[in-house]
Amino acid sequence: MADVVIRPVTELDIEAICKIDERITGTYRPDVWEDRVVYYIRRDPDSSQVAETGGKVVGFMLGEVRGGEFGLEEPTGWVEFFGVDPQAREKGVGRSLIEALLAGFKRKGAHVARTMVRDQDKEIDAFIRRNGFAPAPVTALEKRL
Amino acid sequence: MSEELRSLPKPYHEAVEHWARHNFPEYPELSKRWQQYFPKDAEFCLCARLEQGMPNTIQVGEKVGQPKAIAPKELDKEAAEQLLMILRAQASTEFGSIQQHHGTFERANDPQDQTWVLRVMAEELRHGYQMIHLLTSADWSSVTDTKPADMVEEILNMQTGSHVLAAFNLEYDSFGDSIVFAAFIDRVGKYQLTMQKVNAYAPMAASMPPMLREEAFHLAAGVIPMRRWMEAAAKDSNATMDVPTIQKMVGKWFPRGLEMFGDERGGQTNVKLGLKDMANREAQDRYIDECGKMIDDINVRYVRAKLAHLSREDADAAFERIAKGETVEGIRMDQLLRLPDRRFFRRRGEPAFQMIGFDGEGFTDVEEYMAHALAHLPEAYHASIDVKHWIEMQRKVAKGEIELKKAISSMPRLARVGGQCQCSKAVRWVMDVPEGASGGGEKLNP
Repeated sequence: MADVVIRPVTELDIEAICKIDERITGTYRPDVWEDRVVYYIRRDPDSSQVAETGGKVVGFMLGEVRGGEFGLEEPTGWVEFFGVDPQAREKGVGRSLIEALLAGFKRKGAHVARTMVRDQDKEIDAFIRRNGFAPAPVTALEKRL
Repeated sequence: MSEELRSLPKPYHEAVEHWARHNFPEYPELSKRWQQYFPKDAEFCLCARLEQGMPNTIQVGEKVGQPKAIAPKELDKEAAEQLLMILRAQASTEFGSIQQHHGTFERANDPQDQTWVLRVMAEELRHGYQMIHLLTSADWSSVTDTKPADMVEEILNMQTGSHVLAAFNLEYDSFGDSIVFAAFIDRVGKYQLTMQKVNAYAPMAASMPPMLREEAFHLAAGVIPMRRWMEAAAKDSNATMDVPTIQKMVGKWFPRGLEMFGDERGGQTNVKLGLKDMANREAQDRYIDECGKMIDDINVRYVRAKLAHLSREDADAAFERIAKGETVEGIRMDQLLRLPDRRFFRRRGEPAFQMIGFDGEGFTDVEEYMAHALAHLPEAYHASIDVKHWIEMQRKVAKGEIELKKAISSMPRLARVGGQCQCSKAVRWVMDVPEGASGGGEKLNP
């Protein structure tokens, strides 16, 4: 595995996160990532993480511990946004990130972590399952408006 | 991670709230805006927060491995004296920044930026409260004859102009200063707090993590609006905040931020005593690197907006060429933000009053140097008493009319006026309460 350094996200990671997102989605969305990153920073700056190799941010994972949503009262570590630079994949970056995030959730009192994956995101689904997640006894429902 | 929450004893708690009524009248607005701007965030609490589970042995200095002090008398006299000085300075900065933000708060032109600053102000109030907790919850009589109430009084009496550090004695010229201040000066705060996480006085060390968590938002409250200003400047030739305007604010605040680390040649004593884990120059070097990264990121936002037709890779390559001095599609480095040389416009520390220009160039003529420096500072700032004082000192130093040491310690005659509460005949913020009527000081969480 490459020498991956995991640390909490800061406001100076926003541009690097935009870059990773742009490499994945093809769209530069600075406003979106500014809003998202500041949300996590102001609520719990220790929780969300970035991965660096060679001093460059190559991955990020944003999430936090919350409780009481969807009737799930217990404190839950929610894994909400993540991305790894396509050029840095298969090097253990994603696994290092999720391990750090889950360890942080545990320290904050969560005994369960949850996330949601769209059916078409097979790669993400496989990644999440490889890291110990299993289908949960909840059903995601939607209604087109 | 868990925190113990504590309130100050009633007289001190009320003194801080009383101070806020006069110096931070916007404070009640925070709870009204909270749900709109910070939905579901934990409500703001004016209380002291102490991190639990911190290391209980000294982490740096000559006494590594020995138990941390839990009372000032357990520290060496030198360490306790130094720590007391740090606490007073830190408290001064917290209350001082609120006074500065207050000056231009109503002139904000963006409600989100304004509300973010409002939260920053409230959290600075909490940080000041935290410092007062450290000063009043322990017996400092081994190193000072000043009573706790008088220490608090002295801190709450300070006005813009009489604070301990120069950065907190500058008036803001516009609300924009609130933003640039958060990006540059709060960043120094982050460094100081981080260095003090190892502090040999356990309650001080335990105070740092909760403050740092709040400080992380303060930095974002500076950097994100600056990023957005730069994008607006790239897209709109009549943007209210253009690049030269932002650049001049950087020229105003960056040198003061550098000076907050203390003289570049010092700081080893704090490390030796186990109070901080870095000496001044090392911390300042890291700060400069971090500011450089911040400026690069902000500039990328500008370049991306200007060259929106380019792919990410091409835009990054274009930025690299611009940074090396090339002109790419009409964009030159001098149209982007730059950090001044670390010796530019300095009045404290190793390069104090050396006539070093924005790009590190030396000057021999003091009038030429001052004209150069003024051209890199906001026009509205030129008229301040701070600049007037600097001009006077710079001239005197250049002509040998004042010793450098005296010029460095000289402060402008700013508001060393009226400290007491303005609303009554009271001359103190901390009011005596009848015996038995005191209270507070309790642990707030189970």
